[in-house]
Amino acid sequence: MTSPHNMPDADLRKLDFSRYAEQERRERRRSMWTALGFMSPAIVLVSFFLLYPVAYNVYISFTRWRRFTGFDEWGGLSQYQRLLGNPNFSEAMANTIIWVGVSLVLPVAIGLFIAVMLRGQKMEETAKSIFFLPRILAPTAAGVMWFYVYAPDGVLNSILSLFAAEPVSIGWLYNENTITPSIIVAYLWQTVGLAMVLLLLGLAAVPKDPLEAASVEGATRWQIFRHVTLPLLLPTILVVVILSVLAGFTVFDHIWVMARDFPGKRTLSLTVYMYVEAFDRSSWAYASAIAVVLGVIVLSVTWLQVILQDRIDRMTK
Amino acid sequence: MAVDLSTLDYGAIARTEARRNRENKGVFVLMMVLSIAWLAPFYYLIVSVLKSPAEYVASHPLALPSGIMPLFANVTDAWVEARMGFGVLNSLLYGVVGAGVAVFIAIMAAHGLARYRYSGRTFWFMLIFAGTIFPFQMYLIPLFFTYLELGLLDTRIGMILFYTAICIPFPVLVMRNYLTQMSSEMDEAARMDGCSEFRLFFSIILPNCKGPFIALFLLQFTWIWNDLIFSTVLTQRVEVRSVMSTLQVFQGAYADVSQTVVMAASLLASLPTVVLFFVLRRHFMQGLQVSSN
Repeated sequence: MTSPHNMPDADLRKLDFSRYAEQERRERRRSMWTALGFMSPAIVLVSFFLLYPVAYNVYISFTRWRRFTGFDEWGGLSQYQRLLGNPNFSEAMANTIIWVGVSLVLPVAIGLFIAVMLRGQKMEETAKSIFFLPRILAPTAAGVMWFYVYAPDGVLNSILSLFAAEPVSIGWLYNENTITPSIIVAYLWQTVGLAMVLLLLGLAAVPKDPLEAASVEGATRWQIFRHVTLPLLLPTILVVVILSVLAGFTVFDHIWVMARDFPGKRTLSLTVYMYVEAFDRSSWAYASAIAVVLGVIVLSVTWLQVILQDRIDRMTK
Repeated sequence: MAVDLSTLDYGAIARTEARRNRENKGVFVLMMVLSIAWLAPFYYLIVSVLKSPAEYVASHPLALPSGIMPLFANVTDAWVEARMGFGVLNSLLYGVVGAGVAVFIAIMAAHGLARYRYSGRTFWFMLIFAGTIFPFQMYLIPLFFTYLELGLLDTRIGMILFYTAICIPFPVLVMRNYLTQMSSEMDEAARMDGCSEFRLFFSIILPNCKGPFIALFLLQFTWIWNDLIFSTVLTQRVEVRSVMSTLQVFQGAYADVSQTVVMAASLLASLPTVVLFFVLRRHFMQGLQVSSN
């Protein structure tokens, strides 16, 4: 009997490889159907409750709503033209940019400051819990509490009255100059803790040797921070910045709860503007266009994050 | 030649030491001030729920309460009169069922994504994951109209279905990574022995996911519990409303009557997350410590 090893090369080519390929393909197809079976509940629920609404929302933004026909009338870009011409939209956009600017700088700056100051201190554990504590309140509950802190007869004014000649009764949440800064303070109180924890985690991963070397050489705290810690912490800072900016674009609960009695609340952010236009004023198609603008912004930021993350990954490798 | 120790500038070393000490003291004082500022709102919250409405009006908002008995009256008022009872029970239902079913479905999907070889896996993953990248504002109007048409608006089942769906994508991402890293030796052994794919999942994969299941369940439960916007849009009746929209409605209706009851309601609404934090605190801080070593 001849073994295959003794056979000439040409004979191997006559073997029916296609049969094995066919078998392999059949196996994969079977795998796919089994896998699809496991995935089907997720695919159905996500498609129906999340993806279909997004597509429908984009469609609505190109229509005009009529009471009895609904969204049958095509409106082209008319809703977007209305957006551009409406000073309320510009104001809501400007306020959203303020929120984003603040979220870009303050959570990271304050979180970084606290994290760097705390690191290696005796009180680190206690202080960490204290700064993180506000996060355990629901955003709505925290908003309700701060609503009363800022009330004209609230606790903030009663503290300020101790230092003033006459009783202070500023309506922090009723004045367009003070309302956004007031909500931002409450928002930061709740969110800085998370930035701090993430940055502390990043700091923990920074090697100790360069820090000690710099310290032995007599570098000041600031020099060590600026030239050693900061560059090593850059990837973590990027993550915190992106998270904060996305949160800044989409902040709703805090504003909605604290601005409930403010007459001009709809221009406080794009999210509130969209909600009021839709559910208080029934400008459904117009509000859909606002949501689409918000969606485009959020997707762009996410895309930017992917690119930056990729660049930083390559830099550190 | 031996080093002449007397020529070393001991003064400079002492000066550096003194500077470091001064700096440390400065940091300490600064952190103390910041910590007190951070805790002050909690102090106000706790002091308020311990006062009766009359006592709250009569005393300074930051004055210490005279006892703790008004707490029970405040909580009872919040539960009954503010209808927070409905909200708490509804949100418990939405949170437990929504998060539980969602994480289970997500583990099934992750199993399909991570443990079978076929083409098109990336497509299905992206499809599911796309559910998390859009801002919530893009869901609101279509959901409202679709729910209106289907009769799901203002119903418990409608709320549960939506919360389940929105809690699926993130756990899928986490579980896909987890299951990709898990060894597949056991699967192969089981298949050799003639185990069906269905049983394989339930008897081998699922029991190995207990840890991440609990963590993801708590995370998604908290998300559902804290949600305000979807409950505000999709429910109207007080019997169906979630705890957060009940609180938000109550904040307006009783604003002038009794701040102590509103504060009690806020505390009640935060109770599950507060409990979770203190139960898991050691776990959480240990997690931080492990990664810092």
